Amino acid sequence: METKTGSALVIGAGISGIRSALDLAEMNYRVFLIDKSPHIGGILSQLDYQFPTDHCGMCKMLPTIGRDASSQFCLRKGLFHENIEVLPGTEMTALEGEPGNFRVTLDSAPSFIDAQKCIGCGRCSAVCPVEVPDQFNGGLTKRKAVYLPVPHNIPNRFMIDIAACTRCAECEKVCPTGAIDLRTEARRAFRILVVDDELVVRDSLKEWLVVEGFSVDMAASGAEAIDLFSSNDYGLVLLDVKMPGMDGVEALQIIREIKPDLPVLMMTAYATVETAVQAMKIGADDYLMKPFDIEALVAKVVQQYERTVTVKGRVIEVGAVIMAAGSDFCDPARTPGAFGYNLPNVVTGLQFERLLSGAGPGAGKLIRPSDGRPLRKIAFLQCIGSRDLKQKADYCSSVCCMFSIKEALLAKAKSGGEADAAIFYMDMRTFGKDFQRYRDLAEKESGVRFIRSRVHTIDPDADGSLRLHYVDGEGGQHEEVFDMVVLAAGQRPNRGTRDLAQSAGIELNPAGFCLTDELFQNRSSREGVFAGGSFAGLRDISESVIQAGSASLGASKLIRSKGGAPRASERTGAALQDVSKELPSLAVALCACASSLRGGLDLESFGKSLTLWDPSIRVFQIERVCTLSGRKSLLENMRESGCNMISIGACMPCLYGKMLVELAKETGLSAGLMDVVDIYTPAFRGDRTDPRQISGRIESALKMSIGRLKSADPGPTRSLSIIRKALVIGGGISGMTAALAIADHGFHVDMIEKDVDPGGLVRSLYRTIEGTETSGLIEKLISDVRANTNISVHTEAEVVDSKPYEGLSFLTTIKTKDGGEKRLDHGVTILATGGKEATTREYCYGMSESVITLHELEAHLGKSAGAAEPPGSVAMIQCVGSREEGRNYCSRVCCSSALKNALRLKKENPKADLFIFYRDIMTYGFLEAYYTKARQEGIIFIRYSPEAKPDVSIADGGKVRISARDPILGRDIVLEPDLLVLSTGVVPNDLNGLGQVFGFEVNEDGFFREAEYKWQPVNSKKRGIFACGLAHSPRSISEAIAMAQAAAQRALVMLNREEIEAGAVVARVRRSLCSLCERCIAACPYGARSRSEEKDIIEIDELACQGCGACAAVCPNSASVVRGFSDRQVMAMVDAALELT
Amino acid sequence: MADYEPAIIAFVCNWCTYTAADLAGTSRLVQPPNVRMIRMMCTGMVDPKYIIKALLEGADAVLVSGCHPGDCHYINGNLKARRRMKLLKEILPKFGFDERRLKMTWIGASEGIDFAETVRQMTAEVKALGQNDLRTRMVL
Ligand code: FES
Repeated sequence: METKTGSALVIGAGISGIRSALDLAEMNYRVFLIDKSPHIGGILSQLDYQFPTDHCGMCKMLPTIGRDASSQFCLRKGLFHENIEVLPGTEMTALEGEPGNFRVTLDSAPSFIDAQKCIGCGRCSAVCPVEVPDQFNGGLTKRKAVYLPVPHNIPNRFMIDIAACTRCAECEKVCPTGAIDLRTEARRAFRILVVDDELVVRDSLKEWLVVEGFSVDMAASGAEAIDLFSSNDYGLVLLDVKMPGMDGVEALQIIREIKPDLPVLMMTAYATVETAVQAMKIGADDYLMKPFDIEALVAKVVQQYERTVTVKGRVIEVGAVIMAAGSDFCDPARTPGAFGYNLPNVVTGLQFERLLSGAGPGAGKLIRPSDGRPLRKIAFLQCIGSRDLKQKADYCSSVCCMFSIKEALLAKAKSGGEADAAIFYMDMRTFGKDFQRYRDLAEKESGVRFIRSRVHTIDPDADGSLRLHYVDGEGGQHEEVFDMVVLAAGQRPNRGTRDLAQSAGIELNPAGFCLTDELFQNRSSREGVFAGGSFAGLRDISESVIQAGSASLGASKLIRSKGGAPRASERTGAALQDVSKELPSLAVALCACASSLRGGLDLESFGKSLTLWDPSIRVFQIERVCTLSGRKSLLENMRESGCNMISIGACMPCLYGKMLVELAKETGLSAGLMDVVDIYTPAFRGDRTDPRQISGRIESALKMSIGRLKSADPGPTRSLSIIRKALVIGGGISGMTAALAIADHGFHVDMIEKDVDPGGLVRSLYRTIEGTETSGLIEKLISDVRANTNISVHTEAEVVDSKPYEGLSFLTTIKTKDGGEKRLDHGVTILATGGKEATTREYCYGMSESVITLHELEAHLGKSAGAAEPPGSVAMIQCVGSREEGRNYCSRVCCSSALKNALRLKKENPKADLFIFYRDIMTYGFLEAYYTKARQEGIIFIRYSPEAKPDVSIADGGKVRISARDPILGRDIVLEPDLLVLSTGVVPNDLNGLGQVFGFEVNEDGFFREAEYKWQPVNSKKRGIFACGLAHSPRSISEAIAMAQAAAQRALVMLNREEIEAGAVVARVRRSLCSLCERCIAACPYGARSRSEEKDIIEIDELACQGCGACAAVCPNSASVVRGFSDRQVMAMVDAALELT
Repeated sequence: MADYEPAIIAFVCNWCTYTAADLAGTSRLVQPPNVRMIRMMCTGMVDPKYIIKALLEGADAVLVSGCHPGDCHYINGNLKARRRMKLLKEILPKFGFDERRLKMTWIGASEGIDFAETVRQMTAEVKALGQNDLRTRMVL
């Protein structure tokens, strides 16, 4: 058994799982990252483009400090990190023990292809006769039964879809490395006993199962079965329920006595289903319904068989578990009416995404799969399987609106603006940061049509086009023909969530997602098990990444509190030998697999021409470098040759990142002195490629690598350190949460609050929509903060200025309440300065006591709780001053707050009339249920458009009068409510000053601008500075908490290490050449360069430097050099490249 | 000289185009034989002098390809490169090179097909342009 302290298990390797795993790995905990699918990346491996850049950018999740511990290539292709063990095709089947000391059982799926042997040549796939729909392309294309699950993975190994496989064994025969073993023998050894009194049933079952490769015995009665049973070893029994004499249930009881673990499937006709279900209670594993659906039956039998061949029972010990198993999409085909999904040219959003993909069925051309015609008119239908009570989906999937807008824009872009895209929607939920502007641009600049309507009928036209019938908001009937209809299929819990929850011992919410704490949404119902990403329910990428950070914070805090320490970091840098004074001695290792398996590559002659070119080079051949034995022989050869640089000619260089790190440790040579060259891909011949050209390609690739190595800078990397203290600015919910999170990890925090007491904006909210009083939360946080000896609270204080200090840390000066100044040193900074309710002059605000803002109503409701006479009629206007230029963003919380207050008013006075004027109701996620409830309770919703806002006037005596148009009634209405409540939205506290002090950019709405909206949502571009809470974007209490935790987590990655190793690829300055022109300072996107006044040199912050080389390219004197990419190295590569062409 | 194989040097960024090229390779997309790839971390580190050097050494064309705008791993290196390439194109004739010998494109990680297509197209264009005469002179 493996034992670990300071380790965690992350279930699910989608973006959220990857984020959590990286978070913990960066903190030097040991992480197991498992996924039941054969690859990492989750749903994102299928999505090439993401809002708002409409490209990818996933790689930006990779570590930015200590980055050499992890892979440095496209994250969609794969991931490695020295602290993460990635286990694809693995599921957790049991979780026992206590928080801090869990024992986890992992089972891995049976594999029929030995990953160590598979070289991905594809010959198996070429001969496979089976074709099935390819799930990767949403079923739009076909694939073989032996296939690549994701076309772009590294390493990419073939898999066998054993359910589709016919075991013809053609692939076994052609595999050049003998990697395939279909285990037909094992199947034959799997004996199945079929017990049924009817001969036809027995016979046909036997026939089907024998075709599947199993061995089958038959028995005509219970008694006969028991007889056979005692003298044979069966793997599975199929048992009829109703038989004369001993019936199925009785037989089952006897079988259970002899063999308690043997799988038994009951067979039943519809009439006896009850009995079959009963039988399951006394130990049957499942039941099959007659008449049989062959496919389902075979699948169930195969499933049972697979259990016997799964690799069972690896047990690991971890301190905490993060559940990030993601979510799935609903299948429109299984919904009543199916929204025309059965018609050709009606696809789901995911399928459309595949159509857009360059690696998809249309190779990125926007064509209709049914007839290859270019797509020119596309309709997007929103809320398919979401916000749908009939489907028990009383929630909003939260992602589809932006998903569809993005797809519409991509369709426009791919067609050069020619395609028409129309989005049919109920509410356009653009509730996230910058969503509204994205939507507006889509409409105004790209001409995407937004049609508020529900399509009621889709008729196919003769040519495969689709005729949509819909009613507009005013009741008008319309009809329009489209080339294709894209269904925005809603989110569902992932398949298998229920089983997973059961093995994890956690509860699910009524919708089937993980049940979480209301305010601390990273907590599941079991202590020590945390919820990340959309497993915790309906989140987009950015929120999933935040949620993942919050989950990893919870895990790391728990691990720490139970005594789990981070792994002591080995300082590889120090152990490396200094070869800078040695003469370069270069070796080339060629992987023999390219010659033996590709045929015809003459490695000998490569070796000869290389030594001819430079006689000092030693060349050796290695059998399969990528295997363990290959690596061993490489190591021996390297030691023997005494080389201090090595170029390895093998296959995909990305694959070797991890190996180079390990080799560096073993040989003491820096990874910068090793290079891997792809000699494998160029060896594929195109139809007409001349073999000489192939060897030319390979030879020149090797020479380029040699040239690059020879001019390499062999110096070791530097270890750096920062002051391990944090500064948190803002003492609201976010600030306090972040401060506590850091302090709980044992680091000192200075928390600065401008008011007399911490608490912030939440003080003006009294309850959450769920009804929890917020005062409890604030009091708890304040007392925790005050009690924590690691936190110094500075109230009524203000930041004056912040300067770099002791190299990589900061010294911040604050003005204290007594008017004095104080200096605080710290290594990281979290800005949580919060926000406030916006003010307004619209709708006669200030002219009557009856017109109030949302927070004023909250205060009123909070205090009065039943005391004063509740108002008889209340109107609310949403989006006051928001979502239009000036403040063109959604404040995210006002719709749910309005619903909360309206429901409260209704409860206090059931006779009260409540009207809510809205543009789009933004009840994303599970908040939708409150919208449903509000409508059921008779709250009236009246939609308005920004062009025709409700008109408010004040009559004598202060009475409010609202005239507006009700689009549902189709006429003008006049209301005279007792109270008019304006939802004015959220604005950030003034950040310009602070932004400047800390070098954190502020966006046009005054919020902090994160480094990257999706992938680095809490980071600033500058190292060590993070933002969270309302200073970043409007958010609810639980969302603010999650974000504060995520920010603290990022900060802890830096604090948790005594020393941080700078990257191998970083810039340096050759002082003798530098003319101090400062162009590099302006070019550096990370602010990693500065001019030191006293020393009069350009200094580089090697932690901030990411090695992008922007500085080197602008330097007029070649004084700025990036290690690994110096001018000499690049020039040497150019020389070598052109030598042989 | 109509049927010569142009020598193309491609400076590709590590994060996007390199991945795309790799994908093109592993997907067995046929590629012109004389394309030599030089992996840079970002197009923003491609110094114009590398390009001039390549052309002076006889490359028939140079391709610089990186992430799509807004997608650069290092925030905006590709935009810096775009500006630089535009200026470089203006001065290339002064060195005696047709500006069409330099091309800059955006090719994302999943766009293996686009990579193959770009290289194929570029090869055809450069073939039409004829060999870099510096090279012929040198060969002679
Ligand atoms: S990283 Fe690809 S262009 Fe900058």
